[in-house]
Amino acid sequence: MTTTASKGAQAHKLMVFVLSMSLYGLATLVSELIPSVQVGIVEFSVEFFLFIPLTLAMLFDPLSVALGAATGELVFSEIMLGQFGGIGELEKFLTVTIAIYIAGTLVRDPRNLKAVAAAAIGATALQLAMSAGVDILKVIFAVEEFEAVPGLPESVFFTEGFAFLNDLLFSGILFCLLPTLFLVPRLYGKIEPLLGMKPRTAEDAPEVPSVKLVLGAVACFVVAVLAACLSKAGFSLIEWEAEWAESTGAIFTGLGVAAVIAIVAAFCLHRNATLSRA
Amino acid sequence: MLEKLSENVMDKVSIDFLRNQVLRNAYGNDDTPIAKLDPRVLIVWYLFFGLVPWFLSDVTVLLGLFLFCAVTTRLARVAPLVLFVFALGVFSQTGYLLIVALFFGGSVETLVPLLVLTLKVTTCSLASITVFSGLDPDRLSNGLLWFGCPERLSFSISFAYRILPIMFEELQNILLSFRLRGQAPAHDTLMGKLRWLVYQVKTIVQSFYPLMLNMAKRSRTTVEALELKGYRYASSNMDVLKIKLSSLAIGRNDLIFAAVSIVWAALCFALPVLAGVLL
Amino acid sequence: MSIISIKDLTFTYPGAHDATLRHLDLEVEEGDFLAIMGANGCGKSTLCKAMNGLIPQFIAGDMTGSLVVSGLEARDTPIGELAQHVGYVYQDFENQLVRPTVLDEASFASLNYAQPDYLERGMAALELCGLADKAQDYVWALSGGQKHLLALAGALALEPEVIILDEPIAQLDPYHARQTYEVLRDLNEHHGKTIIVIEHHTDFIADYCKHAVLMVNGAVSWKLPARKALRQLDDLAASDIYPPQIASAARELKSAGIMDRCIELPTTVDEGVRAFAGLGFTPQAHSSRGDAMAGRLARPSDAPGAEPARPSEAPGAELAVAFRDVHVQYRSVKGAPHTVFDGLDLAIQPGEKVALVGSNGAGKTTLMKLMCGLIKPASGEVRLGGVATRAMSPEDISGAISLVYQNPEQMFIKDTVRADVEFAMRARGVEGWQERAQELIDRFRLGDLADRDGRLMSGGQMRRASLAIGIALNPPILLLDEPTANLDIATRREIVRTIADLRGVTDTVVIATHDMQLVCQFADRVIVLNQGEVIGDGTPEEIFHNEAVVEASGICPPEIYAMGAALDARATCFDIEDFLMCFDGYRELALAAISE
Repeated sequence: MTTTASKGAQAHKLMVFVLSMSLYGLATLVSELIPSVQVGIVEFSVEFFLFIPLTLAMLFDPLSVALGAATGELVFSEIMLGQFGGIGELEKFLTVTIAIYIAGTLVRDPRNLKAVAAAAIGATALQLAMSAGVDILKVIFAVEEFEAVPGLPESVFFTEGFAFLNDLLFSGILFCLLPTLFLVPRLYGKIEPLLGMKPRTAEDAPEVPSVKLVLGAVACFVVAVLAACLSKAGFSLIEWEAEWAESTGAIFTGLGVAAVIAIVAAFCLHRNATLSRA
Repeated sequence: MLEKLSENVMDKVSIDFLRNQVLRNAYGNDDTPIAKLDPRVLIVWYLFFGLVPWFLSDVTVLLGLFLFCAVTTRLARVAPLVLFVFALGVFSQTGYLLIVALFFGGSVETLVPLLVLTLKVTTCSLASITVFSGLDPDRLSNGLLWFGCPERLSFSISFAYRILPIMFEELQNILLSFRLRGQAPAHDTLMGKLRWLVYQVKTIVQSFYPLMLNMAKRSRTTVEALELKGYRYASSNMDVLKIKLSSLAIGRNDLIFAAVSIVWAALCFALPVLAGVLL
Repeated sequence: MSIISIKDLTFTYPGAHDATLRHLDLEVEEGDFLAIMGANGCGKSTLCKAMNGLIPQFIAGDMTGSLVVSGLEARDTPIGELAQHVGYVYQDFENQLVRPTVLDEASFASLNYAQPDYLERGMAALELCGLADKAQDYVWALSGGQKHLLALAGALALEPEVIILDEPIAQLDPYHARQTYEVLRDLNEHHGKTIIVIEHHTDFIADYCKHAVLMVNGAVSWKLPARKALRQLDDLAASDIYPPQIASAARELKSAGIMDRCIELPTTVDEGVRAFAGLGFTPQAHSSRGDAMAGRLARPSDAPGAEPARPSEAPGAELAVAFRDVHVQYRSVKGAPHTVFDGLDLAIQPGEKVALVGSNGAGKTTLMKLMCGLIKPASGEVRLGGVATRAMSPEDISGAISLVYQNPEQMFIKDTVRADVEFAMRARGVEGWQERAQELIDRFRLGDLADRDGRLMSGGQMRRASLAIGIALNPPILLLDEPTANLDIATRREIVRTIADLRGVTDTVVIATHDMQLVCQFADRVIVLNQGEVIGDGTPEEIFHNEAVVEASGICPPEIYAMGAALDARATCFDIEDFLMCFDGYRELALAAISE
């Protein structure tokens, strides 16, 4: 009986994963294709459709929803459109996943609208705080180089600051809080039977994040920061390059990087070849 | 701005058009020279062309790599919409910096590093477009699988392409219902435009209510079918992986492509040195 | 030898009050072609999912009793192993296809079970289903019928001995439905597969199945040879299944004393020819219908709100819908755009009741979308009441025309039926929208359901609700896309009645349908589309008598019509009453009854 139950639970997780992936994927794809919503220079760093995984995470298994949403975004809007930005994408990927997962575990009873509202806005704030943190670290990391370009640091600080305020007060409420408050009570008790599940109640709510999970989240955040900084290294190297410009150093740097990558790749090839022969 | 926006969101960008462009991008170009290459070669190729330019700063080298990526993108016959999104992406990443920098009192010197920056962004993006749009999703996911990516991801990629047309249709029908049965506010005045915008945003949010329920119904059948087809069993079976990957083979074209890439890249790197020697 | 043996099977869904399957016993012989019939909610699908182990292994619940498939106890055998003995094709088969290309989909299961020759197996399965030439195509480029066959091929690739299909033809047009059944027959007769279908189309059961089972309330009521099963008219009717029209007619003749009581009820045209032989049969002009038409034409045109111009008075002046040289192309993913209409001209007069028929992909849905302005013609124009759709805003169009989708779920955009019915009126600030909404809810008997979500209702309730939503704005033109697809007898009858009611409410009605019984009961004019061209346009009689049109479009006249035609080529019987009146004996009795 236990095996049956666990198999059923796994099936439900897969369903939730598929659902979250396809819905959030489609939404990010659409939002990627309607870029004019970007108002002038300000890029909203809140995901417009964050309410979709937020809603799902409050109704279903939060981890499957969070992973599904992250995969959906990666597959639909990055890979499908060929807009894959490399390691820089990790930052968004991880902060969104963490925020959604935490929001989902915080809501024990989706009928409690106060909890839903608090979790929705809290998750948004958390995601914003994390990405703002990453942004600030990026600027600190690159500030010396940026100083040399007149007008650049100010503009970066200006846009970041504006975007942050704008996101929290405007998009956070408009695109995360209100839609989630609209959807959760409407979907509760209707969408679960369609997947063959029971609606979430306070008794069978997902466990509150354990210490291990919190540590995991922190570790993920550090990775996100590193990834973001690494991706920004390209920007910061503008000035670093200036001293070297006339020398052949840049060339050797390039070749060195190329060689390292080639070696890593070759190793990878080799390892897999042996693996598949095994 | 608002006017442009209001025209954009629903009237010009029809969901049908989007769907067509995305599908065309995924499946309409499976007979190009790029699509015929071994995915593993292309992934390694991407590791170079998608990353190295970030760490370069010589305009000549970057220009050379950029040209090469532009050619491969052309060869991959990428859908126009993807190129448009790409152009917009480049603008939003660096193009706007240019304007802002000028606004805060920058000068011509500001432009050179920004040109370098733009070239970097462009080259890397083109490389990713070549690989991810040029390859058909199944080959791509097989390639990723070979490099040890989680099975779930590679399945998600091909499943995404399968479900996308269905979802677009579903979304399209829902939006049409809203459009036919609803009444958008008149948008002649500025206030009207604002109201119109709010209405559209509200409509999109509301349309996810039926979409979520409809998709939930569908995904239940899908997951049951996956179970019957042994998907879960396969994801932990090395034999399946081996069979799946045995279809990958490096051929003559792959070698030619690799050779051309290497020679071109080497030339690009050598060019500044040669120029320095000659002058 | 039994390949499936079920003893005392009881299953209860978690949280459900009553058991869905109750002490069910059933033996299925190897090589059988078995139909499972039953009313909605009698447990047909649950039973089938128990056969492949999804229940209770994947979908939890309490199960007692035993279910043995190919010598394996289904409950204890891993689903994967069971899948190699039992293949399953879902009713919503589209969601069962998980891979992008055809060969991929067909070989996916074999690949997952690590069969090295998975491609050959997939290919072999495709060949069995007649899809071999599509192997490299993309799934989304297939038609509905092909997708269904592909789902079947996917199940066949594992070479199971048993194949279960849940309502295989519910979403197919008659031509493709027959094609699917031909494939199934081939599998059954030449490849030794045992086929189990959940089916309520008695004409297909009569033609293809060997045995039939009737399920009532989670238990098997009886299992009989197919033809014999179809003669149990009362049992079938009690389970909301249409008995064969021929059998119903024959029983009527028997009870009228015209036919010998000893003759077995015929269930197919062939049997009917033998059974009805020797009874005086004279084709009649079907009077009942003629009256109805006369009534319609005589309807006062000066009634409030009626269109001023009747077809006979001023042709072309104020057409309800006019297509002028319309060209429509779809962007295709690869290569040249796909042309749907190339210079289409068509006019629909106000007040006409039009049936739009033709196989899937003939352009019916495109035609409807053109009328609603959802698709804009590449050239030419579509005019509604004399105004080009191009010049109308979506709001104007929705005031003039209303489309009820084939899939009623797509009509539900709010969280209750009431909100959906109100939505359009509220958005437009229609006077007294609350009263009108209540009126519609009462009229379509949705009172108890009004505060539920449309999606969670039964098929018939969904249809009713979608009709209520469709006519909320009181549009002069109503378009219905497949209103009776996939409904059981009771629901279908109800929907047909509801549509008939609409005759008085909406002026012009266009129905796209495969349901020829509906065509016969409802339409004054039939437009036959084939590959974007109008190949037939006339009254139902004219269309059914035109063999070239029937042949080219693949439409199948109702069974009773075919029966009448088989007895006398001049007969045009649209319903059982028409048919009976052709029998001299029956007509005399009927006339005698009237004169009294």
